[in-house]
Formats: sequence, structure tokens, C-alpha cells
Amino acid sequence: MASLLRSLILLLIVQSFLVAIAFGSNEVEEFSEALLLKPLPDRKVLAHFHFENRAPPSNSHGRHHHLFPKAISQLVQKFRVKEMELSFTQGRWNHEHWGGFDPLSSMNAKPVGVELWAVFDVPQSQVDTSWKNLTHALSGLFCASINFLESSTSYAAPTWGFGPNSNKLRYGSLPREAVCTENLTPWLKLLPCRDKDGISALMNRPSVYRGFYHSQRLHLSTVESGQEVLGSGIVLEQTLTVVLQPETTSVESNMQPSWSLSSLFGRKVVGRCVLTKSSNVYLQLEGLLGHELKNVDTEIEAHELWKNAEFELSLKPERVLRESSSFLFIFDIDKSSDSEPFDIGLTWKLPSKWSCQQAPLHASRFLMGSGNERGAIAILLKATESQEKLSGRDLTNGHCTIKANIFQIFPWYIKVYYHTLQIFVDQQQTTDSEVLKKINVSPSTDKVSSGMMEMMLELPCEVKSVAISIEYDKGFLHIDEYPPDANQGFDIPSALISFPNHHASLDFQEELSKSPLLSSFKENSLVRSYTEVLLVPLTTPDFSMPYNVITITCTIFALYFGSLLNVLRRRIGEEERFLKSQGKKTGGLKQLLSRITAKIRGRPIEEQSSSESPAAQSSVLSSKLIFKIILVAGAAAAWQYFSTDK
Amino acid sequence: MRSTKPGLKRLFITSSVLFSFLLGVPFLWKSVEIYRSPLPFHDIDSLSDQLESTPLRFPCNFHAVFVGFRSTDPDNLRSQIQDGINQLTHQSSQCGSCDFSLSVTVQNREDQCSDTLAHSSTTCSYRCGVIKRNGFGVGLDDTVDESLNDVFSGCSENSGKMYSVVVVNKENANGGDEVKAVVGKRRHAWIVGNGLEERYGDIVARVSEIFVQAFMNGGREEDSIQGEFMPVGSDGKIVLSFSLLNSNPRDWVYDWDFQRIDEALLAPVTKALAPIANISVESQVLYHTPKSSFSSWDKKLQSYIFRTSDLPFFVNSNEWHLDTSAGASGRSKILQFVVYIPSGKECPLLLQLPNGEISKTNGFISPMWGGVIVWNPGNCDKDSESPSRNTISLQDLEQIVEIFLGQFRQLFGLKSEDNYTSGLGTYKILPSERGFTEWELDVLSRKHTCFNLHSCSTTLGSLSRLVRSLPRMIIKDEIGEQVKYSLKAAKLAQSNASLGGYSSSASSSREARSLAENAFFHPSIMSVSYFSYEHCFAVYSPFFLPVIGHVVLAAVREWKRYKQEKAKYLTWLTRKKTT
Repeated sequence: MASLLRSLILLLIVQSFLVAIAFGSNEVEEFSEALLLKPLPDRKVLAHFHFENRAPPSNSHGRHHHLFPKAISQLVQKFRVKEMELSFTQGRWNHEHWGGFDPLSSMNAKPVGVELWAVFDVPQSQVDTSWKNLTHALSGLFCASINFLESSTSYAAPTWGFGPNSNKLRYGSLPREAVCTENLTPWLKLLPCRDKDGISALMNRPSVYRGFYHSQRLHLSTVESGQEVLGSGIVLEQTLTVVLQPETTSVESNMQPSWSLSSLFGRKVVGRCVLTKSSNVYLQLEGLLGHELKNVDTEIEAHELWKNAEFELSLKPERVLRESSSFLFIFDIDKSSDSEPFDIGLTWKLPSKWSCQQAPLHASRFLMGSGNERGAIAILLKATESQEKLSGRDLTNGHCTIKANIFQIFPWYIKVYYHTLQIFVDQQQTTDSEVLKKINVSPSTDKVSSGMMEMMLELPCEVKSVAISIEYDKGFLHIDEYPPDANQGFDIPSALISFPNHHASLDFQEELSKSPLLSSFKENSLVRSYTEVLLVPLTTPDFSMPYNVITITCTIFALYFGSLLNVLRRRIGEEERFLKSQGKKTGGLKQLLSRITAKIRGRPIEEQSSSESPAAQSSVLSSKLIFKIILVAGAAAAWQYFSTDK
Repeated sequence: MRSTKPGLKRLFITSSVLFSFLLGVPFLWKSVEIYRSPLPFHDIDSLSDQLESTPLRFPCNFHAVFVGFRSTDPDNLRSQIQDGINQLTHQSSQCGSCDFSLSVTVQNREDQCSDTLAHSSTTCSYRCGVIKRNGFGVGLDDTVDESLNDVFSGCSENSGKMYSVVVVNKENANGGDEVKAVVGKRRHAWIVGNGLEERYGDIVARVSEIFVQAFMNGGREEDSIQGEFMPVGSDGKIVLSFSLLNSNPRDWVYDWDFQRIDEALLAPVTKALAPIANISVESQVLYHTPKSSFSSWDKKLQSYIFRTSDLPFFVNSNEWHLDTSAGASGRSKILQFVVYIPSGKECPLLLQLPNGEISKTNGFISPMWGGVIVWNPGNCDKDSESPSRNTISLQDLEQIVEIFLGQFRQLFGLKSEDNYTSGLGTYKILPSERGFTEWELDVLSRKHTCFNLHSCSTTLGSLSRLVRSLPRMIIKDEIGEQVKYSLKAAKLAQSNASLGGYSSSASSSREARSLAENAFFHPSIMSVSYFSYEHCFAVYSPFFLPVIGHVVLAAVREWKRYKQEKAKYLTWLTRKKTT
């Protein structure tokens, strides 16, 4: 049969070949990797892994792939995702020391935990369903509890306060999600070489997770081809940003620590991933003012740049690019091999000090008030030193102003009173209209949706500090809505402060097509910073409470009922007569005792003067005893029957 | 001593309280009762009993045409063939087999016919004299097959499919003794030879063998993969996921143009199988995927060898991220087909069969999982430092697809040889360009219907057992409806099958199975959905236990006291009377 099939198949292949030529698209899927290393002013080193995977427009997305991960493509096809970003972060970005006004920080400084936003290409009515399905799919794909973002109380639909303006955008974050290797492994699975080869081989789990900050990000966007037949292309950008502390042996405290790749990660690069289009390592040095004015035209001076009195690189860079305040050394890892691994190192010779560019305002957020009933949230924006230097001011009406957007989600159990919003500029309370240009509030509904607040502030340039405060009441949750370990408190997701008139970009005058990392730096990116996550303690009930309440109320009811019944069938006249006859005979103490026993027993004291003989009495007593025993035994048997059998 | 009648007030109060409590008990019982949609337990049991006692059988019409036979009685022939078929099937009534009706036509040398039709006379009958004795069987087998299809094209397929075997006795003087037996792509087979009339008994046996082995059993052996291994998801979908694994891309990187293969070669196959399953095709290329078993160097063969005993360890689930497809929803069946390209250290890699020979396909299947094909690059020497990037040529891809089709047929339990040999002789089997011939598809759809119904009845059976064993489990109406519709669909499939509607019975059986699975895996069943007696007891006992104690004791005491007092009063009365 096989031999007979062959001739036929050949015929069909030739046919299809002709069809394919007519149809053909020349573009192929492309993958590129890059690593950016950057010493930070506070003696730490930042490593930024950047992987980009492009799938050209094709009509076979989700079905046939060569380099691009099939799972992602199917996700895009199935949920009609136009743009999506998912980040897993642990640790907080230090805006003061690690920078707040460069593309790296504005794109990769993410809030703690999981953040997800997505724009869909579906009719408005289906956006929420798509979002819910997407969260479940991502949850399975990345081994994380992203599916908690499914409930309408945990996501919001920002209109203009969050970057992209679209009414099909959904945003949600899970501040408490713990990020670890089980999230990194599926993320690596999307790379063609995983962590077997190339730059990603550096990702030694202990050294990555030992760092001060790590954020793994996945950003995908679709590129419209313009042709109906071909559909749209997909660009998948995966980045991992880690801030590590190099081990230092130097005794001088003001000396920057020297490091190399092997000392940072415990591994070396032995070659590029063979499937990449480009594979580069960059080293960015900021603020080396001593060299800034020098010309780098000649060979000797270029040499000066990487081996000079201040520092020394262990390898000669391929090229050196410069921007206004920083140098970029480019290394090609193509030459490295098993015998000669690529291990770039930086050795400092002189103490050096520089500072990073910072965002115009530094944002922090805290809670005010005490007790379990109410409180207030305050966002404090402080002017940074570098503010004057920045160019993004808006000189409307002759005033120099800074625009700042604040985007904040409140869970429904934080019941915010929007009328209590107060804004203090330089510790002076202002009426709202002075600085508050635009505000959009969507109040929360109990157990249905979360609240969202977007505000646009226009501040004078010379402002020193701005404080925004808003009061809230703490809500009560239903007993089964509490998460495990409810006493730890509840997290309020980070607020996002963005500066719409400030854009960060780094232009190294490099031809664009060369490196996706540099071209992404060149694009103007919105300067944004996330605030801290707040931990709000709510009143947590004793979780055994329902049973306690049931027991105590039932007991009270039973007592009431029993005594009522006793009162109804009591014979007061008879008892009084009896007591009278008793009182004559016995003393006070005995009378009291018999009274108490009568009370307890709930029946009149038997008249001793009755005609019954002692024998009859004893028989009555014994029959009562037998009855009691039978009652108890019956109850025990019933209990046994119900508790064991079913 | 008592001179008045004892009062009834207190007795009345206590007893009325007691009675109102007793009256309240049924209401309480009703209020703590949980909702259970009534399930048709009886129908479920009767369905499984019915399937077990009377296996599902489809009507098949067998038609044997004998051309060029001088003097043969069709009735006699018919009974002989019938005996032969019964002998081969051992009277066993396997589920999904044929409930055949046989008709025989004998056309003598003068092109005159005598017929024996089956009891259920088919609307289609052979028009006498269309098959010419001497012109038959000349030319390619494919054209003969087509011409036979024209001959029998007038058949309506209301009551089952019609299978025919044409026996042509040539009587050529110079012709050899050779008998040629061919099973076509459609539903026809023919036997051509010289002097067949002399070997009359032999021919009759061969005709019945074709009917049984090919048309009834699809060329599968009894002990081969059984119907329980039908690789179709419970929602009637199959996802064929093809992966090209470059075990070490540092040595060489191979890519393929699978989209072209999909459009040209796999599309006809998926279309042909559409009545049985809804098939979708995906492909991907993966890198850095070493196999997890070891291979050894064989000097004689100048290649690396892995043995059949290594096969369980070949698939490396740690490194082969074949991925369950996000495109496949719920309970689709995913069949993985893996093309493994060995690294430079283990190239060429060959599979050695237990008898010491080298496997021709260099691949293996794993039932219900898929198949693996090891494809060795043409040149195993690594010529340069940098890895070469190649595309698998179309010729090689075509070979790979051939092997895949064989593996795919094997997963369905079909054979892939181009002839079938039995004790009586060899039959040539014409392959179809769609991978499956029509009579094979018939067999598959019969087996599939049967398998679906069985699986439906076992699923419903376990559901009913589960429901009956947990009396305090909530059963939503939805589940009840799904069970009802599933039973309805199963009934429909059974009645369609008995009428011979292959595709309609297959589709309704598929629906029955998927509804049954939906009911069984309904989220409300899976969650913790019943609260226990202990809980009930804990909630209600703190109130009712002490209260009931009070009420009962009070009633009993009052009753006793009343009796006592009444006795006293009665004695007083008698005393009064006597005095």
C-alpha cells in the first residue's frame, strides 16, 4: 500500500507546490535575544534579558509554527487578543537609585505580584467573557492563580488613566501572588531554545531569585497586515529584569563592586541560541561625565573608553554607542564557544559615583487612621532633584506645568468616599479645580465590581510636594469570602502614576533594524511608576462563629421554651398547700432544699402524707429510672445510627 | 382521695404542644431535603442490558455476481456462501458487525442471468449482461474499480451499504492457472481467473472470505486493537499535533513546510474521516529535545541502534514540550505525531526489531498517544562549526507522511499492507488516495458507533451508581436533562443503525456519548456539593434535643398524673356509691 500511495502523493505535492507559489509569503518567523547589563549607583547590577519573537501575518496562525510558540498563537486566535501584557514581579523597583526616567524602568518596573492587562478585538459586549476565558487560559499556561482575576471584583476597565486608550481594555492585578521558578519555567518554554542555549542559559534559578528585584514580563501585540487574507502578525516580547548584588571583596566602602557574568549568575554563555537572528550583550554605563565631552573618533580613544583609569572591561566591545548621558558597549557572543565561554566582567579601579535620571515626581502611598472601622489612603508625590532638567513641561498659558495621571483600583470592601478627596499642594489645601483637571470615578458595588479612580493633575513646575488623601470605610465580607489566612490583611493593588507629557527614550543613533532591544528603547515610552501595595487589616471573624451562634441561640430558646411549658402546666395552688404542710413540719433549711429540688425537677413535691405505701413509691421510682435509662439508650442508639451509617 | 373530676387543661396543652412538634417533623424533613433531579435509572439499566444482550448490528447487503459460469444454481451458491460466512464469523455477534443479507446472481456464457435475492429485496439489482466476461479485468485495477462502481451505481443506500464481489470465469485457452483477487477502493471486489468453474468450492470459500475479512472486519485481526481504543475524543474531535523535534540544533537545524503538506495531503484524509471525527491539524518545530533512552553503535550497520525494548523510554516528557493544544477544547483527543531528528552524536539512528531486522519505517506508535518517526538527515557528518539550517525536502516529507498515514491507520486498528494473505490465497488491496477506503470507513463508522454507545452506557451506568450511592448529593436539573437527551440520542442511534443509516447513527451515537460525559463531568457534581448528616445534626440538635425532652416529659407526666388522679376519683366514686 505504501508504495502505491507514493506515486499519488508525489502528484499531489507537485500540485500543491504550484498553489503555494502563487500564494506564498516570504516572511518567516524571527527570534532575537539580547542581554543588557547596567551597573546601578547603589552598588547593584541590573540584568535585563530581552527576547523577541515575531510571527509574520499568516492565515495559519495557531496551526503551523516554526519558531513562534504555538500556545501563544492559539491564545491570540481564540480570544482575539489585540495587545496583552502579563508580568510577574517580586521585589520593589527602587525609583531613586535604579532610575525612573529611562525606557528600562518605565517598561519594566512593575507592581509586586501579577499584573495583567489586555485589549481585545471583539464586540464590546464580549470583552468581559474574553477576559475571563483568557485569565483561565493564562493561569494554566503559567502555573499561576491568574484565574482569580476572573471575578468582576478584581479587574477594572480603565478609560484614559492607564496607558493605551481603548474601551476594550481590561486591567487587573494580584498583589499577593508569589512568583517563583514554577512561573519562570513555562515562560522559558515559550522560547525556542528555552534555557538550554544562548543568553537564557544564564538563568540559574538560585541566582535569579536571590536578587533584589525580578520581573518577568510577556508582552504581545498583533500587527495588522492590511490584507484580509493574511490576518495579522504577532510580536511576542519576553523580558526578564533582575537586580543583583555582586559579591564584593573590596574593603573600600565607596568603591563600586567589580563583577563578571559568572560571578553574578554562576554560569557563562557558551554560544548563542542558533535560532536567533541577532544575539547581543550590551553594557550600559551611565553618567560617566569625565568622558562625555571627549570625541570617540579615533581608535586609541575608543580603546580608552573600555580600558581606562576608572574602570576596565574584560573583553573588547564590538562597538561603542553613545547617548547624551550614557555609553553603550556592544558585544557579540557569536565568537564564544565551549572552550572559550563569553564572560564579560567589569572591574572598577577608582571610586565612582553617579546618579540616575528620575521621574519628575516620586510617588509613595500609605494608610492613615487606626482601628478596624475606617481609615484613609494617602498618595504623596514628591518633587525629585532632577525635575528641573526635564524637558517634558507643558508651557500652556505661560505657566510651566507637569501633568500626572493617577490610576487606582479599590476592592469593593474598601468603601471609598470620593467626596472626601483632598489635595494638598505644598502642604496647602487646594480647591479641587486648581490642580485637578480631569477625574473619572467608577464606584464599587458590593460583591459585584471594584471601584476605580482615574485623575489627571496639572501641577506647577516648582511644586515641592503633593498629597492626595481619600477616606474609606472597611466593609464586611461574608464568611466564605475570606481568603485563607484572613488575619494577614487585604492587599490594595498598586496605584499607577504616569506622566503623559514625559516620554523616556534612549536613542543611540543606531540603525533601527539591527536590534529589537535598542529599537524598543528608541520608542517613546510613557514615564510611569507604581506605588507600594497597601495592606489593610479588616475585621476578621472567628470562623467557628456560626456554630457558636447556633448553639447559644438554640440553647436560650430551648430554655425559654422549656420553662414556658413548665409554667403552663404548673399547679400553684397545690404546691402552696403542700408547702404549707411542709413548713409546719420541717425547718427552714430543709424547706429551701426541697424548694430548689422542686424547681430543678420542675414538678411539685410529692405529698408525703399521701396514702401510697413506700413499696409502691419505690416501684414508681424504679420504673422512672428504667424509663430514663431507656431514653438515654435510645438517644445514643439514634446518634450512633445517624453518625455512622450515612 | 379525690371528689372532683381531674382537669384536662394541662394535659391538653402539653399534648397539643407535642402533637404540633410531631406535625412539624415532616415539614422540617422537607426543608432540609436537597434537590435531586429524578434520573431515569430504569432506562439507563435497560440500555446497558440491551447493549449487552443484543449487540448492535448493522444491515449489510452482500451481492455476489458470478459471470461466465455454465450451470450453477444460484440458490445452491447462496447457501454455500452463507455457510462459509457463518463459519468464518463463528456465529459470534460482535458489536458493530454486519447483519448481512446475501443475494447471488449467476450470469452464464450467453449473458443470461438467474438471481437469488435476499429476503429484504434491495432496490438495486445487477442489470444482466453489463459485465462482459472477456473484457473484464483488462487494464489498471483502478479503472476496473471505477467501472464496477458504474455498474452498481444505481443502488440506493437506504437500507445499509451494498458490497459486491464479482467473480469472472474467463476460460481463455492460453491463460495460466492464475487467479487474481482484488479488493477495490469502494465497496467492490473481484476475482478473475481461468477455469474457475472447476475450482468451484475454492472460489465460494474465497468469496465468503472477502465478505467477512474485508467488508465486515476491515482487514483487522480479531486480536488486534479493539474498539475500546478508538482514538476519538468524547466530543468527537481529534487534534493531530505534528511536532518536528531537533534534538540538538547545534548540530543541524531542520525545518519543514508543513502547511503545504497539510493542504495537499492531510486535507483529503481529514475530509474522508469527517463522519467519524472532526479532525484539525497543527504543527510546530521544537528544539533541544533529546530522547531519554540510550542508543548503541552497531559496527556492522554503521549506525546507532535503539531496540524495541527501549521504546517505553524513548519519549522524553521532560524535554519534549509537545503541549496540549489550547485550541482543543475540553475533551478532544490529541494525537501527537513526532518526527525526531537525532543529534550528531547519534546519527544515523535506526530502530531494530526483535528479530534483528531494521525497521523500514523507523518509527513506532503508542496507542491513544500517537506515533514517533525517527528521520535521519541525509548526511550525518557535521561539516562545519556553525549549524546548517535546512528544510526537509518534499520527497522526504512525502515519505514521512506515508509513514504517518500508516501509523494513523494503525491507531484506528487498520492494516497498511497492500495485500492480504490467507490460507486460500492472496488478495490485493487497492489503496485510496484519501488514506482510507470506503469499506474501511464503513467498518470504522460501525465500530465507532458501537464504541460510542458502549461508552455512553458505561458512563451513564457509573453516573447512576454514583448518584445512588450518595443520597445527599445535589443533582441539578441540567444533569437530568443531559441524561435524558443522551438516552434519547442513544435510542436514535440504535434505531438508525438497525435501519442502516451509517452516518446518522454515528453522529447520534457521538452526541449520546458526549452528553453522557457532560452529565458525568458536570461541574456541580465535581464540586463538594452535599452537606452531611453530621452537619444537619450539629445545626438542629442544640434546639430540638432539649426542647423535645421537655415536651415529651411534660406530656408523659401529665398523662400519668391524669391517670392517677382519675383512678383516685374513680375509687372515690365507687366508695361513694357503696356508701
